[in-house]
Amino acid sequence: MELHLRDHIDDLLSEGQTERQAFNIAVQEFGEIKPMAQEVYWSQRPKSNNNFLINTSMLKNYVKIAVRNFMKYKFYTFVNVFGLTVGLSIVFLIGLFVNDELNFDKFHDNADNLYRVVENQYYAGQPVFPVAVTPIALGPSLLQEYPEVERFTRVSNEDFLFELGDGKILERGGIQVDEHFFEMFSFPIVKGSVVSFKEKLNTLILTEHLAEKYFPKEDPTGRTIKLDGEEFIVSAVIQDVPKNSHLDFNYIMNFQDFLADNPDNANNWGSNRLYTYVQLSSATNLENINEKIKGQIKRNAENSVTDIYLQPLTDIYLGEVDFVVEVQRKSRMMYVQVFSIVAFFILLISCINFMNLSTARSAKRAKEVGLRKTIGAHRRQLIFQFLSESVLLTLMAVVLSAGLVSLLIPSFNQLTDKAFDLTTLLNAQSGVVLVLGVLGMALLTGLLAGSYPALFLSSVKPVLALNSQTVSVKQGALLRKLLVVFQFVISVVLIIGTTTVYKQLKYIQTADLGYNKENIVYTSVSGSQSKLFADKLRAQPGVKSVGLSNRHPAYVLSSSSGFQWPGQNPDEKILMHFMGVDEHYMSTMQMRLIEGREFLEADTAVVMINQRAKEMMGLDEPIGKSITSFYGEARIVGMVNDFNFKSIHSEIEPIVIFKLDRLSRVYVKYEDTYQGKIAATMEGVWNELFPDKEYHFDFLQQDFDDMYNAEERTSKLSTYFAILAVMISCLGLFGLVSYATEQRTREIGIRKALGASVKTLFLLLTKDFAKLVLLSLLLSIPLGWYAMDSWLQNFAYHTRLDIGIFVISGIAALAITFVTVSYQSIRASTSSPVKALRNQ
Amino acid sequence: MISKNLTAASTRPIILGVLKQGNSYGYLIIKRIKEMSQGKMHWSDGMLYPVLHRLEKEELIRSEWVMADNARPRKYYHITEKGKQALMTERDQWLQVNSVLNEIWGIEPTS
Repeated sequence: MELHLRDHIDDLLSEGQTERQAFNIAVQEFGEIKPMAQEVYWSQRPKSNNNFLINTSMLKNYVKIAVRNFMKYKFYTFVNVFGLTVGLSIVFLIGLFVNDELNFDKFHDNADNLYRVVENQYYAGQPVFPVAVTPIALGPSLLQEYPEVERFTRVSNEDFLFELGDGKILERGGIQVDEHFFEMFSFPIVKGSVVSFKEKLNTLILTEHLAEKYFPKEDPTGRTIKLDGEEFIVSAVIQDVPKNSHLDFNYIMNFQDFLADNPDNANNWGSNRLYTYVQLSSATNLENINEKIKGQIKRNAENSVTDIYLQPLTDIYLGEVDFVVEVQRKSRMMYVQVFSIVAFFILLISCINFMNLSTARSAKRAKEVGLRKTIGAHRRQLIFQFLSESVLLTLMAVVLSAGLVSLLIPSFNQLTDKAFDLTTLLNAQSGVVLVLGVLGMALLTGLLAGSYPALFLSSVKPVLALNSQTVSVKQGALLRKLLVVFQFVISVVLIIGTTTVYKQLKYIQTADLGYNKENIVYTSVSGSQSKLFADKLRAQPGVKSVGLSNRHPAYVLSSSSGFQWPGQNPDEKILMHFMGVDEHYMSTMQMRLIEGREFLEADTAVVMINQRAKEMMGLDEPIGKSITSFYGEARIVGMVNDFNFKSIHSEIEPIVIFKLDRLSRVYVKYEDTYQGKIAATMEGVWNELFPDKEYHFDFLQQDFDDMYNAEERTSKLSTYFAILAVMISCLGLFGLVSYATEQRTREIGIRKALGASVKTLFLLLTKDFAKLVLLSLLLSIPLGWYAMDSWLQNFAYHTRLDIGIFVISGIAALAITFVTVSYQSIRASTSSPVKALRNQ
Repeated sequence: MISKNLTAASTRPIILGVLKQGNSYGYLIIKRIKEMSQGKMHWSDGMLYPVLHRLEKEELIRSEWVMADNARPRKYYHITEKGKQALMTERDQWLQVNSVLNEIWGIEPTS
């Protein structure tokens, strides 16, 4: 067009016009600019219309500009990528964890048709008493009477003493099952067959690792091994039980072996001693069958207060009901939910970092947007450009987090007691799903993180962007502040959560259980020899006292509603737990006597009760009263304080303690200084008395720690999550402060030149952010209170939510923010004003 | 003076027609049209260029820069085969309009 004008002017000049006249005429004839610009626009528009959203010819340019931007603002790129990497890694790890938890027991082919029979027992004045174990006779009767039941198996846990050659080891993890166990559950057979197992007595199935232990590098099938003195033939080897099976065992025997030795037990309806599983036909309606079988125990056992129902196999692991005698491998749905929410929030925090930094820095990109718009970019294309930029960034984070996750998996496995392995995960059929899932996640994260910046930046008015220096920094400032507040609310709630979980864990670990679990080691011997063993031990140095009992102090699960006492309401059934001890047990466990006296050696037919039992029995003066049970009539001689004989999740229940003989569990209280030596001392005495028996012992403290594994794990995980959340939030804040300070360099320079002190400047730069964090504190305290109060309700005995937790969390959050903000503020306020002003 | 709408409508065949007579550049095209219409068609010079762009995008014409040593660089346009066909179509249509008008106004067709 310029050349056109020049040609025209030349022509006009040659026609004799003056230069000014020629120029004026040429310009006038050229026409008005506006309609012409419109015409140009319309004629150019179809170019972008071909491909409205994605302009393929621009893709290369987008990537080029994105990479340039990443390189130019390395610090911000780092903050974004690092935050997203950590966020995504956590999401991946928690995703693996949650997926595994949700798929517990689903590997069985029949998983959908398998159920465990569980009980609800009802006693007067007591809440429903859910029990996971059932009578021996229940399984066969269900199969016989209900056509819907296709198969059943009982699973009874029993540990045996293995003897092979000279070695004797008490092997844990033995189960006795019925013949259809392998048709119901999918535990793959590696060697041998389970046919002879079904048909013959005294056959044994080993898991791979146990087979390797006893028959290294040999084929164990057909070999014999002594179990509790009886010979068993190994008929098959099966794969080790996967980590995501609630059934956990090392070897299997036929339940008929037990019945052959105890034929009277086959029709036992009275004692709940094993787990019963059934397989229903596919078309069965669960509600209907539950209604039918509900009274099965009541119909067979007189005076029973027990209803039964079927619990789907896949609900066992995450079930919310606290069954008595529950399997060891058990978690709660609540933890799965909490961790999922936490993962989501941590990812959100890192996305917010991205949004905040991108919008804050929008001025730097506004010119680019202005220019792109001027030369014809459409808003949708700009949105696409910025979204693709954030997706690109997220993909970088995905690649990095894949590396990070593979590094973290061993520790994560240890922490969560899982067995994740990236190579198997990727090789498996789920590999494709996994990769697609990860990419989908990246896309989603990129879109989430990039959505606001993209909408925001693409809305910039080109004229403003090209004209002014400081466009749109102020725009979106409120939203940025809200997002920062949101981030810190999450972080502080996580800090509060972590502190509370930790406090509860400490509370559990140091709670007054009503007895002292410290410095106690225990073992089992045969009841006839326990007294001799105990007497010998008492003579050893370092041994304070030795008590005998027939139960573990934290797992007293035997209970009966058959107790009778004077003044009892004959219509009411009260379930009471019971255990047997000798005269030294109370003092060994340091239980407190409230009334009456302790047991004496010469005592026979005497019992003690706890305070709760006194309340439930409605006795004002229990001492001297008699109580009748299956042990006959006994006199109450003393009352002990309430003590936790179960998990601290449940409330203390009534218990009757009998003075018995021939008790097999030996509890040894030792001097603190003998911690390292006590095992050897006991082993010495053991070998002297029982030279041909394998010695095994446990520490009470260790059992206790195992009991609260889930809480311990939650405590650790939540600590890590809280640290990471705070770290990512602070990283974002650091980025924002850096940017704000950078923007105000000139202002700071001028203020300094005019005499502002470092202190004033520091306050000026810090106060805005401090206000935000304070606001978050105010918001997060009620939220944290509510959340943690609900969590604590899971425990019958729990710590208090005191102001201290909130003060500590608040101070921690403030301190961390302060350090984050100060670094940049101090740097800016101490820098030389000359430099600041010259550079600008 | 010929109306704006009619001018606009005839732009395409006129430009294609001019280019069929020989390659040309923007300023020359305008100059030629002005001469032929004896100033009766009002064109703002600038309006030519969007039309040229559009024709080029439709592949009816092509352009190339010609650099001569002693003259300004010029963007020469030439008509393509597709352009020639488009011109034929336009020509037919204009002739039809013309014959209709002739008949209405009682003038014997000249061709």
